[in-house]
Amino acid sequence: MKAIVAIARREAAAYFAGPIGWICLVLFALLAGMFFSIMLVGYASQASQMGNMGQDENVTEMLLQGLFGNLSVIALLMMPALTMGLIAADRRERSVELLLTSPVSSAQIVLGKFLGALGFATVMVLTTLYVPVALALMGEPDPGVFYASYGGFVVLMAVFVSIGLFTSSVTENQLVALALGFSINLSVWIMGWLGQMVPAGAVKSVVEHLSMLSHFEQLSKGVVHTNDVVYFVTVIGFFLFATTQRVEALRWR
Amino acid sequence: MIEVQGLTKRYGTNLAIENVTFSVEKGGVVGFLGPNGAGKSTTMRVIAGSLGASSGTAKVAGFDVAENPRAVQAMLGYAPEVPPIYTNMTVRDYVSFAATIKGVGDVAKATDRALDRVGLASVAGKLIDHLSKGYRQRVGLAQALVHDPQVLVLDEPTSGLDPAQRVEIRELIRELAAGERTVILSTHVLGEIEAICNRVVVINHGRIVVDDKINNLAAAGKTVRLELARPSPAAHAALAAVPGVESVELTGSSAVVRSDNDLREQLAAAAVPFGLLELGGRERLEDIYLRLISAQGAA
Repeated sequence: MKAIVAIARREAAAYFAGPIGWICLVLFALLAGMFFSIMLVGYASQASQMGNMGQDENVTEMLLQGLFGNLSVIALLMMPALTMGLIAADRRERSVELLLTSPVSSAQIVLGKFLGALGFATVMVLTTLYVPVALALMGEPDPGVFYASYGGFVVLMAVFVSIGLFTSSVTENQLVALALGFSINLSVWIMGWLGQMVPAGAVKSVVEHLSMLSHFEQLSKGVVHTNDVVYFVTVIGFFLFATTQRVEALRWR
Repeated sequence: MIEVQGLTKRYGTNLAIENVTFSVEKGGVVGFLGPNGAGKSTTMRVIAGSLGASSGTAKVAGFDVAENPRAVQAMLGYAPEVPPIYTNMTVRDYVSFAATIKGVGDVAKATDRALDRVGLASVAGKLIDHLSKGYRQRVGLAQALVHDPQVLVLDEPTSGLDPAQRVEIRELIRELAAGERTVILSTHVLGEIEAICNRVVVINHGRIVVDDKINNLAAAGKTVRLELARPSPAAHAALAAVPGVESVELTGSSAVVRSDNDLREQLAAAAVPFGLLELGGRERLEDIYLRLISAQGAA
């Protein structure tokens, strides 16, 4: 456990020690602020016309869903950049030898790196905490919706981190890892659109179930269904397992 | 302490090492010698558990590296040729990180001890990125010994260093090798092997060419070179007639005489009638090494 925490801390600290981490953090916070401002102004103008500013019971859900809907696309683009070096850079710089020759298992290495990157991604999400404060000033939002929305978005980040960690393990070239990560993210994301094109039936149901978009839509509304939780846990678990196999293979290549 | 048995590693159709077998007793300091691409690093990586063998076994203190890598790695420190460093960390943070993942109990104490040991205490707060190559090499050594391992595997620890840094690292390794610690050290610099090691394993084209004590190796190479002003078949016969001479090779004005014993005095006397210009010393380790490598290459 100490080794996992040490690896996680090292990875998280590395983001703050380099430009990519700061660029992503600042860009994410700025874009989140921009999206929130635009939506707030839009809502205010709409509400003032109808004379019910702050009276709409669904304002929290509406704003948060819109905000995290936009941020999820930003995360889809940004997370491969944050995760591309997790293992690829270690391999290129040969620092992976320290991990491979220390008494830690491949699973511990992968879990440590996953938690480190997810920790940094969570800090990115926390830069939007002014949103609940602003909404609380406007009315009496349902805290449950906040928790579910924020929790759901962190889970989505975890999915992107697990995919990025896997793509970083298959190559020494960070740009290849970036392109591969982005491609997988996009594929899983747009599967929902494909589902709309497929005629009704078993295939449509499978494609829709595989779509991250449809599962995330539920979470971003603050609605937690078991099948959504199972979906995200399965996807994260699959990519972490695949990454562990890749790291194990590094010892035998 | 280390037992390597029939180790073979294939990369596709290429054989990196083939049937490598040797053992190192506890406290032994073995020099691993061979040209680039001979298979030294591959063998060391297999022992350290960062690379699997295609066949054969490597055991450390009775533990099979393939079957029980964690147990081996807990007692083994490995410093690869390229230090496995994170340049965006400070020296102290890096060594402390290495201590934690190696399962050290008192991380702060172990970190301080390792930094002192390799002479990094004065730069402990510096980013590794800002260090010279010599200091980075020391950082690589610090991570290898931070958990006070019983076995040290050092892959060309002085590679790329200037002569002064090389002497410093050599002294450091000599200190580390003192006592009960078992050390395997690979290098291109034969002087380091002579200065530090008590045994040498020469590897070439993935196979072990020689595995012997340095004293035995040096004794085996009592070869004397003579420069003659008037080389002739008679000179060859006169040198070959000296009791104890095993062979004489006359090439141009040079005669190379091989014998079990030191016959320089008798050879000089026999060579004087033929205009002895120069009498070379006995074969150095470097000469023996080159002879072994070229002999295997020719075979």
